[in-house]
Parts: sequence; C-alpha cells; structure tokens
Amino acid sequence: MNPWMTYLIWPLIKFSIAFIAVQALVAAMNWIERRLLGFFQARLGPNRVGPWGLGQIIADPIKFLLKEDFVPARAEKVAYYLGPILPLLPSFIVFCLIPFGPPPTFAVTNNINVGLLLIFALTSTAVYGIILGGWASNNKFSLMGGLRSAAQMVSYEVPLGLSIVGVLMLTQSLELEEIVRYQEMNSWNVFPQLVACFIFIVAMNAENNRTPFDLPEAESELVAGFHTEYSAMKFAFYMLGEYSLMIVNSCLAVTLFFGGWSLGMGGIGFTTEVMQKMGWVGGLIGTGIFVTKMMLFLFMYIWFRATFPRFRFDQLMDLGWKFLIPLALANIFVTGIVLLAFPSRLYGDTVIAVGEIMLTVIGMIVIALTLVLLFKPKRPKVINASRVSEA
Amino acid sequence: MQVEYPKPKWTDKFLLLDMFEGLKTTFRELFRPKVTIRYPEERLEPADRFRGMFRFSYDRCIACKLCALACPIDIIYIDVHDETIEQEGKKKKVKVLDRYDIDVKRCMFCALCEEACPTKPKSIWLTTKTYELATYDRNDLYFNMQELEYWDDRPRYTGLPEEEEKPRIADERRMLGE
Ligand code: SF4
Ligand code: SF4
Repeated sequence: MNPWMTYLIWPLIKFSIAFIAVQALVAAMNWIERRLLGFFQARLGPNRVGPWGLGQIIADPIKFLLKEDFVPARAEKVAYYLGPILPLLPSFIVFCLIPFGPPPTFAVTNNINVGLLLIFALTSTAVYGIILGGWASNNKFSLMGGLRSAAQMVSYEVPLGLSIVGVLMLTQSLELEEIVRYQEMNSWNVFPQLVACFIFIVAMNAENNRTPFDLPEAESELVAGFHTEYSAMKFAFYMLGEYSLMIVNSCLAVTLFFGGWSLGMGGIGFTTEVMQKMGWVGGLIGTGIFVTKMMLFLFMYIWFRATFPRFRFDQLMDLGWKFLIPLALANIFVTGIVLLAFPSRLYGDTVIAVGEIMLTVIGMIVIALTLVLLFKPKRPKVINASRVSEA
Repeated sequence: MQVEYPKPKWTDKFLLLDMFEGLKTTFRELFRPKVTIRYPEERLEPADRFRGMFRFSYDRCIACKLCALACPIDIIYIDVHDETIEQEGKKKKVKVLDRYDIDVKRCMFCALCEEACPTKPKSIWLTTKTYELATYDRNDLYFNMQELEYWDDRPRYTGLPEEEEKPRIADERRMLGE
C-alpha cells in the first residue's frame, strides 16, 4: 500500500472517528453522571429537557457557549488561557495509542512498542493545566486547589506506576496489544494481579481528581478549587479534560487488567484469532466488547462518587504513601518471587506457567471469598429484647 | 431491643469488606423507586388540614367584620351599609357588603379569619387545597369579593399549557418507598 495511506491518511481517519466518538461520549457522560447520581440518591436527575432529559447533552454546551466569559482583572493572562487547554491535549493524543479493537482494523496508530510508557508520560502532564489554572487565577482558593492537585498527583503517580510493574512482569511487554494477547491466552490480569488492579483503580481515581479524591476542587472548603475563577467555555474545557481523562483511564484499566477487546481466557472464548477470522465484523464486535467494558469502568467512577465521602488531605497522603506504595512494592516483590520460584515447565508437549497459574488461582480465591463474605447475611445478635435501645 | 452486630474479623478488614459493603448499599439504592414527584405532570394531594387559598361565600356572610378584626395584619378590607328590608311583614335592618377585599399577597395563611367567622358553615375558609397561586403581577394577588368567590375562573399560572389534561395525583405509596 502507498505509505502515505498507511502512515497518514488511515490513521487520521481512524483518529477522527475515535475523536468524535469520544467527544460525543464525553458530552453524554455529563448527562449520564448526573442521571446516575440522581438514581443513587433516590431522585431522578435531569429529566426535563427532551425524552429522559437527553436534551441536556445539547443544552449544557449551548449554555456554556452563551455564558459570559469572565477573566479576573489581575489574572496571569497566558497561563490563565493555557490552563483549561493543557489537560485536554494529552488525553486526545492518548486516544491514538489505545487499541480499541483487534489489530488490523481498529488500532488507530500502528503498534508502538513502548505504548504504555508513552501513555503514562502523556497522562501525567495533565496536572500542569490544573496547577497553571489555579495559580494564574489570582485567587487564594484556586491556588490552594492547584497546589493540592500537584501534591496529590505526585503522590499517586507513584503507586499508579508501580502497580503496572506486576503486569509488565507477567506479560513481558510494554505493547498494549501484546498485553491484551497475553491476557486472552492466559488469564485476565485482574486475577493474578488483583492487588495491582486494586491499586490501579484507586490511584486512577486520585489521578483524575474524582470523589473521594477530589480535594483540588473540594467545594465545601475551596469554593470550587482550581476552577473557581473559570467561567463559560473555559470551565467547559476543564470538564472536557476531566471526562476525557476518565475515559482514557478506563480504557487503560480495561486493556491492562480486563482483557481489552477479547472476551475469553486461556485461549478459549472470543479471542483475537476468532475475530480476525470474522473480518471487519469481528473487529466491530471486539470494539463493542471494549467499549462495553469501558462503560462499566465509567459507571464505576460514578458509583464511587456516589458511595465514598471525600478524604481529608492528610488521610489522602497517608493512603498514598503509607498504604498504596508499600502495597505496590510488596506486590512487585511477591510476583517476582513466585515467578522465579515456579518457572514455566514443560509437561509433555505443553508449557505450563506454574507461577502465573498459582497467582491466578490465589486471586480468584480472594475474589470468591470477598463475594461470599459480602453476601453472607449478617445476623445481629439480640442481647436484650425487652429494653429500648439507648441509641 | 438491643442488638449487637458481629465484630469485624481480621479477614473482613483484609478483604476491605466495609468498603464493598458501602458499594453494595449504594448499588441497591440505584434500583429503589425514586421519591421525586415530577411536579407539573403529577402532584401531591395536600392533607385535609392543609391551608391553601381561601374561598369566600357572599350568601353565607353576615357582614359582621369579625374576620377583619381577627386578622393580625389587617389585610381584610370590609365596607358595609345598612339596608331595611321587608320580611314576613316586619321591617328588618340588615347589613349589606359593599366591599370585601383581601390582599392575599400579604396573607400568612394563619386561618384566624376562618376561626373568627361566626357563620356555620364558615363564610371564609382555607381548606381548598389550592396552593398554585403564583402570578406574573403582584397586583393580581389583590382579590375582591367576586374574585374571592369565583377565583376558579381567574387565569392562573400552572406551568402547563391550557389544553393539558388534569394532572394525576402522585401515588403516595411510592413516596414512602414501598
Ligand atoms: S389567613 Fe390571611 S386573611 Fe386570614 S387572618 Fe390570617 S393573615 Fe389575615
Ligand atoms: S367573619 Fe365571616 S361572616 Fe363575618 S364578615 Fe367575615 S366572612 Fe363574613
């Protein structure tokens, strides 16, 4: 094929499709989140504009466009304008790197063999927008929000980075496609890397400034934190950045821990080979599976927001430095020991990865135990049936 | 009744059961019926004791002015004149209402006027269960005698187009979350 086609035109087309789809999803997320939060809190959420309130998706951007664009008098102009744009850029670029479906059709760019490193390098720059915006607004609340954000990002970047080391040790690759292939051939990384998955999800919530880690905007203490002084479209850009980053992080979690576009483990089920045999239909199905998993993660974000109260700042730091980082290090250590002590063996004709199977089984047992204990009815013991409780 | 829940074991702490318990609770909430009343389309029937807009009955009123006296903020304006009428051959002096106005925008719906009214049934009463009194002009809330009796005909803002069917009463059981 013409190299121009391969390296410029096709990626551009694919990127535009992915970009538009993601932007539509971001706009829809605003409505989905408010509606779901409403349902979580025994109310209905926005339901007046159009059927089921769907018109809200269009009404909100229009409102943002029509509002007065206010710039504080003594704001640092350049930084103030840069602030909302900076968090957007990395997430747009990252969408090119994420494999939305099985290789030949649905990855936007050709495979990048350090894809994961690149993604992490890009997403961690998103915080600059928040710090800049907070500092440039010439407002003490914004500044506090920005500074908190900086501290939080630094603390949670570490466990986030450490948590994927275990995954890398298993898959022995930084290529996202390779990681997905490994998962469909062996098992989804949630099971052997349960702890890493947990750390990843917590840290990714914190990275994203979402409740329970939304200290940078902490509306009960800091008015609105870093975006106190932002209005109209600039504020919308911050929202856009936040939701884009949410989607990016969900995509990453799906790719790293939940088998990407595949639906199967141990080489059986709906794997890449099956999809590739089906041609572009298979590709579409793979993308559908990926998007479904991603939506589940977005739901999880909202679910967390509806469930957990916000951390205090020192609790946040404690959780990051005293709990997650040691846990991530321990996870790396244990994974390494197991992989070294039980290397893959040849039984007859088949290679059995003993260590990985052990980790998988342990992970599955822990998940099963949690579920059993969670759904076991807890019967309260009656101590004194006659007396009215003092409480 | 005094009850004691089993103490969390170390396994519970290790598996972060508290956290998942919270998630389970909120997830259950997601499917509960919602308490919201979608106001203009459905609305709640107020309780029987509810004090809403008053209604006045010219036929029952004996023009005694007791309600105007009872009103703590003096927003009931009554003018009367005496008239002599022939009834069963006897001459009888009756009071006739010239003016009976209530400045409803200042009313606090204390129902003292209803309480003071000596006629039976009351000539002025607040149990009409009507609470949609919003108007576009504050002067529209000054009601005279005719309007007080026939305010049903007054154009009022209900938040709905005219031809909309009668709003249904919200299911009260749903409110209680049953
Ligand atoms: S209900 Fe209104 S009119 Fe009647 S006494 Fe109270 S304030 Fe006066
Ligand atoms: S107290 Fe009753 S009867 Fe007397 S003037 Fe008022 S409304 Fe009429």
